[in-house]
Amino acid sequence: MLFAAAVLLTVGAIAYTLFVRDKDLPQPENATGWEHLEQRKVRIYEQLRDLQFEYRVGKLSDADYQTTKTNLQTELAAVMQELDKRQGTAPPPPPAPKPANVCPHCGTKFPSAMKFCGACGKEMA
Amino acid sequence: MENLGSVALILAFCFAVYSVLASLIGKWRDKPFLTVSGQRAVYTVFALVSAASGILLYALIAGDYRLSYVASHTNKAMAIHYKFAAWWGGQEGSLLLWAFLLSAYSAVVVFTNRRKFRDMMPWVISVLMLTEAFFLMLDTFVLSPFQVFEAGRGNIVNLGDGQGLNPLLQYWTMVIHPPMLYLGYVGFTVPFAFAFASLVTKQPGDAWIATTRRWTIITWLFQTTGIILGAGWAYAVLGWGGYWAWDPVENASLLPWITATAFLHSVMMQEKKGMMKVWNMVLISGTFFLCIFGTFLTRSGVVSSVHAFAQSSIGKYFVAFLAIGIAGTIYLILDRLQYLKSESHLESVLSRESSFLFNNLILLASCFAVLWGTLFPVLSEAVTGDKISVDKPFYDRINIPIGLFLLFLTGVGPLIAWRKSSFESLKRAFLWPTVLGASLMIGLAAGGVRHPYALVSFGLCLFVATTVLMEFYKGSRAISAKQGKNLLLGAIELTHRNTRRYGGYVVHMGIVIMFVGFTGAAFNRDATVEVARGTETDIGGYHLKIADIQDGENDNFAWDKALVTVSKNGQVIGTMEPERRLYKASKQPTSEVAIRRRLNEDLYLNFAGMSADNTKAVIQSYVFPLVSWIWIGYWVLLAGTLVCLVPPKVRLQYARTEVVGIAGKHATVEK
Amino acid sequence: MICLAQSSSQLLTPDIKRVGGRLACLCGTCKNTVGDCPMLECHYTKPAREKIAKLQALGTPDDEIVKSFVQQQGLQALSAPPTTGFSGLAWIMPWVAIGLGLCAIYLFIQKFHPKRATAGAPEIDSETLARYRANIDKDLEKLD
Repeated sequence: MLFAAAVLLTVGAIAYTLFVRDKDLPQPENATGWEHLEQRKVRIYEQLRDLQFEYRVGKLSDADYQTTKTNLQTELAAVMQELDKRQGTAPPPPPAPKPANVCPHCGTKFPSAMKFCGACGKEMA
Repeated sequence: MENLGSVALILAFCFAVYSVLASLIGKWRDKPFLTVSGQRAVYTVFALVSAASGILLYALIAGDYRLSYVASHTNKAMAIHYKFAAWWGGQEGSLLLWAFLLSAYSAVVVFTNRRKFRDMMPWVISVLMLTEAFFLMLDTFVLSPFQVFEAGRGNIVNLGDGQGLNPLLQYWTMVIHPPMLYLGYVGFTVPFAFAFASLVTKQPGDAWIATTRRWTIITWLFQTTGIILGAGWAYAVLGWGGYWAWDPVENASLLPWITATAFLHSVMMQEKKGMMKVWNMVLISGTFFLCIFGTFLTRSGVVSSVHAFAQSSIGKYFVAFLAIGIAGTIYLILDRLQYLKSESHLESVLSRESSFLFNNLILLASCFAVLWGTLFPVLSEAVTGDKISVDKPFYDRINIPIGLFLLFLTGVGPLIAWRKSSFESLKRAFLWPTVLGASLMIGLAAGGVRHPYALVSFGLCLFVATTVLMEFYKGSRAISAKQGKNLLLGAIELTHRNTRRYGGYVVHMGIVIMFVGFTGAAFNRDATVEVARGTETDIGGYHLKIADIQDGENDNFAWDKALVTVSKNGQVIGTMEPERRLYKASKQPTSEVAIRRRLNEDLYLNFAGMSADNTKAVIQSYVFPLVSWIWIGYWVLLAGTLVCLVPPKVRLQYARTEVVGIAGKHATVEK
Repeated sequence: MICLAQSSSQLLTPDIKRVGGRLACLCGTCKNTVGDCPMLECHYTKPAREKIAKLQALGTPDDEIVKSFVQQQGLQALSAPPTTGFSGLAWIMPWVAIGLGLCAIYLFIQKFHPKRATAGAPEIDSETLARYRANIDKDLEKLD
């Protein structure tokens, strides 16, 4: 009885461990090779967000905020560039010129940037 | 039955070894069949060790006194939960518990990562199963829990009843304290295995950290809980009111806890900035090896200790395992240094980064001081031949200043911004905490508190508590202002957004509260008096009157008991009944201490025994100020740790770079 | 001698406690000092306290009492290692460790100092930076 149980235990253990069918084999992992860059990107975004929050809370001086923000953005841009390189995508187009606050047509000044001139109605950009 | 248990253990050992070989060869030769069977072997090991443990438990509970393990650690009179606890009450059984927990952890790891980390998993499994094989080897070939009593060859003796568990250990926390500690000890094998595997396979990122983050926190929590339960047990049971004696075995549990705490902090440097990668490797490996080292200290009899199991020959196996493991890990780290290069630099010396450096320094210094004190007697005897004692006065003198500095850093760290902080913002941030802490110190000193460490400690506690509360207040104010919620909802929202940070602050708060409790020890008072019926005595503002002294006996033990009427300021506030028992089976006396627990102080009465002429009772009375705050601090710490484990609210919503072509498409990243 | 007639529980005057705190209880089961060992009939602490009481009754100073224990039991009679000789290492090493740690931090800061360190992040020129930055800024506005 005891002997039978021992044999059963042994055979069961061996069978379970060694009997691997084809369908038990794992599917190939679709590793891209740049997960760590994606991960870094996410982390830097997270730090940027955190920085903004701390600034809003009043834990940072303006100067500290600006320096750190620039540093983080540079780091992030570098990571994104690297990612684009690996993924074979082109970097983003140069940013569109910012909407101005002086109308190029009639010359009226506005306190903030606008798309259309409030005086002459023409496009400001 | 016991033969079946032995067979299961031997099989488990073989499968653990097989798992290592199959995983590694499968990876090396790229044979997925082998790696899969290596994974399955992990489940098999778990099943087999569970079976062996089940058989041992059955023997313990059913009372199979042919087994020497059962007879030495249980008897018929014991309650069933203590019979269960006998599983880890002795050397052999506790080794089996180690093996069981590790096999369970390994099975969980293999299952949850079965489709992930194709590269790393064979190595993770190898590290786990090598450690498992080591413990199974001890349990199979060196100290089997299934050993039977033999009189002559093949003549098995049934003793009929056993010696029972030490009555001091028959207390509820003792049922959960050891397994909690073991859950902690064993659990650190997993992050170590991932770190090791990541290093061997030269992973570019630090996926091992993200994967094992929760694991590390939970393991840390188990260990903290185990340590606190042990302290609570000592306080309530041993009769001298202490909760920590700097005993080598207690120290052994503290060492990996300290390095793990350091790791939990410094790992943030790696996550945020990709720095200190080598150091984090060192810390997690150190934690793992200190866990093994702690297990070794407890069992080898190298240092004398209250807790130690009977001396045995297994020390040399541990030394070999540690030597090979540490040498291998050091070699691997040195060999892979170029994969552990920093990705960034320090923007400023005045930054959160630097505060983490100091935090790590101080934690490691205290770890070293404790280790040094624990091993110094051994070292001294080896070098000079002099036996020396390293007791509480040594540890207190070294560790109190270190601990206070650590408390200070707890307050400072969170106030310094990551990357760069200017003096201006620091001045603003530190103003109120410093003012409050300093005023408390001045106030206490004026109020007559003369104990310098206690003053500093209370001041720092308030300082840290203020910084933590300010963090919560400022953050929730910003949120409630923006979202129009009230402050409480703002605080919840704040915590939910970054559970790890704000949970961490709650943990800090728990530590502060515990420090308040520790500091109370500076004001302990005690008195030992011989009393007869009607005797009256005073201790620390309490007036004690011995109303009666009774005795009696039952099947299990004989007892003496004093009924003490306690009054304060002329008002009777209660009756306390300290008791002393003499257990018949083990001839061992125990104290049933009477404790009046209050938030400001505990009144603690211990019936120490009868006087030499057997006419009077000897009562030791103690007043322990603030001691309850240690246990309260633990609950706060527990809550904070649980908060850390809650997944944060969806963290980031950012547009993928527009080049992908779908401008403004939102990618949601959950972590 | 009056003190010998006293029972063990009364043998714990503040004076005895003060001296006892410097002596280890060597009974083998506890890690206490002679000053605070709570075991009533401790086979080490009880005679030790009696001895302290006896010597104090003779007017012996603390140091002499401690010395007499060391003569009898060796250095292990002390509850903390002496500060001289080899045992001095026990006291010095933790602080040496902190000192070494401070040096390590100094070196670390030197190595990764902003002015000296070369950033590990890949280099990026200002024109490309501007392109990415526009996107990052846009994303940041959405972050809360």
